[in-house]
Amino acid sequence: MVIIGENIHVIAQAVSTAVRERNAKVIQELAQTQTEAGADYIDLNVGPMKKDTEETMQWLVDAVQEATDLPLSIDTLNPVAMEAGLKACKRKPLLNSASGKGLSKEQMLPLAQKYNCDVVISVMTDKGMPPDVESKIESIMDTVAHANELGIPNENIWVDPILLPISTAGEGQRFTVLNLEFLNILEDVLPGVKSTVGLSNTSNGVPEELRPHLNRTYLVMLERNKLYSAIADPLDKELMSLAKGEMPSIVELIHKTMDGEDLDLPSLSQKEVEYVKTAKVLKGETLYSDAWLES
Amino acid sequence: MEYKAPVEEYTGVVREVTIGKGKNSIKIGGENMLPLHFFDKGSNPNPVKFALEVIDMEPPDWPEHLIQPFKDVLSDPVKWAKKCEELGVDAVFLRLVSTDPAVKDSSADDAAALAKKVAESIDLPLIVYGSGDDKKDVEVLPKVAEACDGMNLLIGPVQKENYEIVGKALLDHGHNASALSPLDINLLKELNVKLGKFFPAEKIVIDPESAALGYGMEYSFSLMERVKQIGIITKDNMTMMPIMADLGGECWKTKQAKENKEQGLLWEGITALSLLLAGANIIVLRHPETLSLIKKTTEVK
Repeated sequence: MVIIGENIHVIAQAVSTAVRERNAKVIQELAQTQTEAGADYIDLNVGPMKKDTEETMQWLVDAVQEATDLPLSIDTLNPVAMEAGLKACKRKPLLNSASGKGLSKEQMLPLAQKYNCDVVISVMTDKGMPPDVESKIESIMDTVAHANELGIPNENIWVDPILLPISTAGEGQRFTVLNLEFLNILEDVLPGVKSTVGLSNTSNGVPEELRPHLNRTYLVMLERNKLYSAIADPLDKELMSLAKGEMPSIVELIHKTMDGEDLDLPSLSQKEVEYVKTAKVLKGETLYSDAWLES
Repeated sequence: MEYKAPVEEYTGVVREVTIGKGKNSIKIGGENMLPLHFFDKGSNPNPVKFALEVIDMEPPDWPEHLIQPFKDVLSDPVKWAKKCEELGVDAVFLRLVSTDPAVKDSSADDAAALAKKVAESIDLPLIVYGSGDDKKDVEVLPKVAEACDGMNLLIGPVQKENYEIVGKALLDHGHNASALSPLDINLLKELNVKLGKFFPAEKIVIDPESAALGYGMEYSFSLMERVKQIGIITKDNMTMMPIMADLGGECWKTKQAKENKEQGLLWEGITALSLLLAGANIIVLRHPETLSLIKKTTEVK
């Protein structure tokens, strides 16, 4: 599993201050710790960048590249910032992200072609979020066909089905289930494309201390359904162990839960039981509540 | 080839909750089928029950056509409750509105004494609700529970903010708990899980919030429907509780119900009928004519 480290994110106060004050040290430390933790890419999410767009992006990419040799994921909706970022990258970057929206097709996809980089394309369109597996497939096929016409090969495309928070009343859990299905059939309809998700989004709105349970378990479930990469927190050690295949017995347990096997819960450790309960919630077998580990 | 309609059989059973004692008690829930799915396997031993609402003070904002039927008893909740009894309800619902700090902030002791008096003067089970102010209810509901010790009332609303203290008092004095959460199935389940850790699940009733027609009723409908489906079909242990639809107050707050009587009755009636279809096990109304309207509508011919 390819992990794109998410920690250089403008939502973090330290990051936005560092960017504003051109304090390279803070940013470089974040890049280094994520690199040491085993990330495969470093995501740079710096928001809309309304002021000094090109200069800021150039500075940021240079600063990060001094601290790490990892390839970068340039994460912005601003096409000017995007181009400045892609231009400054030494290694083949990831354009994060484009979508089926008209504006994105016009402004972002051509950049992916121009710089021959990898590109995240989400299922989003001008009509919004497609509500079911069929419409997600339909929308991504349209957008990928458009990208192919521009000269972007499937091998450069990382499809993002868009994860929604599981805790959103009613709908959230339905989406965690249908995104599993979506990934499972993606390869058949678009041979050669890769995939990615914003993993932590699944646990948005869930009490902070419980979020890792959902992120870790869902990562294993998504990987089984052929997910190629995830934007996630590489500083979560257990998550990284799972992603790097160092916890085969837990992975097997999650797979058994996905297959609906009868498991003898009393014979399992507390940690194992928690993985089983979490997998049941993520596959839609039990109704989600913040108290899912307690019932 | 002869056509045979498919018949579903479900594994979940809604817990049967008894409210009240002895011959004055009623049972709600107990079904192992989806609402009105008489064509499937399973049965509902306790058809939907109806309660009328009494409040503990003269209603300040009720329209004339809602006040009319209770005109002579409005100043006395005990008489008001007895009047409801005469009107053929299954239970009386007493709401302690005056305890709300924003209304009269009347004392927990007075409220408890009144609840006891009402409970003793009717031959029907009593449901007692605090004002819904979660902090004040922490004072009021335990006093009510204590004053009515052993009477097996249904008391609420037990909420996320106060379930530990209120739940404990209800448990100590042998009552049922009505667990209220704000129109959200995930929060509803969470409250049941947390309350259920020390409070018997077979004494919990779900109050999912019942919005009025035109004011979000479809949310309440989908929510109740889903609670039933998850309980009956997938056997989720923490949603297999009977549901109370406390809708009278919501309906009579609306501009439409206040405008004129016929509209008000229909507003309350359509909301009640809809939530009954969604799977409510007990319905709380305000107007006696809505009660007879609904009873007539749902009568098996």
